[in-house]
Amino acid sequence: MNVTDRAPSPPDTVAPASAVLAVRGLGKEYRLYDTPRQRLKALFASGTHHRSHWALSDVSFELHRGQCMGLIGDNGAGKSSLLKLIAGTMQPTTGQVQRIGRVTAILELGAGFHPDFSGRDNLRFSAHLTGLDPEEIARLEPEIIEFSELGAAIDRPVKTYSSGMVVRLAFALVTAKQPDVLIIDEALAVGDQHFQKKCVERITAFRQNGCTILFCSHSQYHVRQLCDVALWLDAGRMRAHGSTDSVLAAYEAHVRAQDAASASAPSPGPEQAVAASPPPVLAGQRGRITRLAIDHLGPGTPPLLESRDLVVTVEAIVEGGETPHIAVMLEQSHGVGVTSVATHADGARPQAVGPDLWRSVCTFPDLPLHSGEYVVSAYLFDSKALVVYDQWYQHQHFRFHFPTLTPGLVRLPHHWS
Amino acid sequence: MHTRELAALWRGRSLAWLLARRDLATRHAAAAGGIAWAYIQPMLVVAAYYLLFDVVFSMRVGDAGGRGKPAGQFLIVGALAWMAFSDALSRGMNSLLEAGSLLQKNALPAVLFPARAVLASGIVYLPLFVVVACIYAGTHGLPVAVTAVVPLLLMQLVLSFILGYLLAILAAALRDTVQIVTFFLSVGIFLSPVLFPLSMFPEAWRWVLWLNPMTPLVVGYQAILLDAQWPPLLCWVVPLAWIGAAAAMVDLVLARCSEQLVDWL
Repeated sequence: MNVTDRAPSPPDTVAPASAVLAVRGLGKEYRLYDTPRQRLKALFASGTHHRSHWALSDVSFELHRGQCMGLIGDNGAGKSSLLKLIAGTMQPTTGQVQRIGRVTAILELGAGFHPDFSGRDNLRFSAHLTGLDPEEIARLEPEIIEFSELGAAIDRPVKTYSSGMVVRLAFALVTAKQPDVLIIDEALAVGDQHFQKKCVERITAFRQNGCTILFCSHSQYHVRQLCDVALWLDAGRMRAHGSTDSVLAAYEAHVRAQDAASASAPSPGPEQAVAASPPPVLAGQRGRITRLAIDHLGPGTPPLLESRDLVVTVEAIVEGGETPHIAVMLEQSHGVGVTSVATHADGARPQAVGPDLWRSVCTFPDLPLHSGEYVVSAYLFDSKALVVYDQWYQHQHFRFHFPTLTPGLVRLPHHWS
Repeated sequence: MHTRELAALWRGRSLAWLLARRDLATRHAAAAGGIAWAYIQPMLVVAAYYLLFDVVFSMRVGDAGGRGKPAGQFLIVGALAWMAFSDALSRGMNSLLEAGSLLQKNALPAVLFPARAVLASGIVYLPLFVVVACIYAGTHGLPVAVTAVVPLLLMQLVLSFILGYLLAILAAALRDTVQIVTFFLSVGIFLSPVLFPLSMFPEAWRWVLWLNPMTPLVVGYQAILLDAQWPPLLCWVVPLAWIGAAAAMVDLVLARCSEQLVDWL
């Protein structure tokens, strides 16, 4: 049970498929003592004085140079424990972690800053803790300050900073030097929209340069967009490991089964309502949706779609001349997904209809659904479809009527023979 | 102590030094006097002892008939060493608890934090003790025996570090450790030859004083600085035995809890 670090080989001698991170039989036991006295006894006397809670058992995988793995699972599944074991802040009970090269973990940004010292002072001190040597710190300092966009505020005490400024400085610091392995724990929601976009761009640039990324997120959208492989942890064990699509499909089925099991409850909790995993949204106003409309809606509550085609129009304002991406999600009214489509997935682009104003019209011809109540959501993304500028979640409900003798949800193309 | 711990300490020596300086700066960050306050407080105690006992009352301790040592000078030697030990030990003991959030977010060896605490204490007390030792040695015409202060101070530093590390682990396991040790540090000065010469303590109970790890070191400092003599053998053997025993204990507890130590913080 150990964590070993090795220096990276020179790039020209590294085979493209060499494992940068190898985890074998990893397990973490938390020993629970009924009283602190028993914990003291455990230090000096032999025998068992604790109850065991295995947060993680028998986890094994390998990550190669340039691979990105998404780590998914319910709350308490052991995701954070796994990240901490790989980052080295926690020691494993069983198994091995082999890491090659520099490992950087974005776990809790800015937590080590001292409020009475200036941003610059905290930057220099924290840079030492991340393993940078003084020459590197001196060399990287101007770039860190520039990336954090703190300007003259860098010489003010950190206690005068907003929380956004603190995380900007911390993110700029930990990502100042490209690591060989980058561990990200839900860190894509950093600062305002503008800064989050910079963060995502920096992480994707790392990835393009061959950095191996381990990415833990509840956002299935981001896992799908960023990761080649995924690992689903369930109660501390590997439930599925493989291509992102197959693992996410299995996880989504699990989430749906959970939702179905709790459907009898009078009102599902907010976490369950979000479990269908629309992407997380940013604060700030770099881009926003201004209109979501469905053509040919008639009277009633919800209104009846008086057309065989479903035509959804989404309009959005995005500043800075950036061409956004737009997605539309169609669900049953009680939240079970039917389909989602996006301009970036289909190779389409929204049309410019005014200064900074964009419009996408999505048509589902001869809507292949059975009668029922449905709801449409819209999402606005940045030009790389990674940052979510805005979402109108379950915004427009409608009824659809299709007379048929048979039950079902969708009318799939089929033939009899 | 395990070689792995010592290797981690050696590899992280520059970081431990940086952490120690940062620790001092942090403690006095909001004070106009800054780090000077760390030195002013023990200096005021030393000045108070001298002025009160040697200037105002002209008291003497030791031999009867007024031929003993000036009380202020006698007290300063032991009290400064005790203050340094007490400060280093209590900071060392709290070092892991205080560094909990840092250790949970950065992959740093735990051993750096008691080292930081003891170094931060040493940065304050070592120069003060050296200055006092130089003044005392000057009054004796700079005897050769004064060089023995260096290994004694080194032993005190190592002893404070290992005991501090042991207590830090125990405090992580059981917070009551902090209360118990704080009590012993406040009464320990009475169970050492700091306030009175060893010879004044009832002979039948003198062994109690030798249970205090600082007794041999204080006796050693007094022999060198007050009598210009080499410290007796016990002053070397007992601290080394303490260091060995404490290191073995650190090994023992780390073997049982190193994997969970950070989880306890």
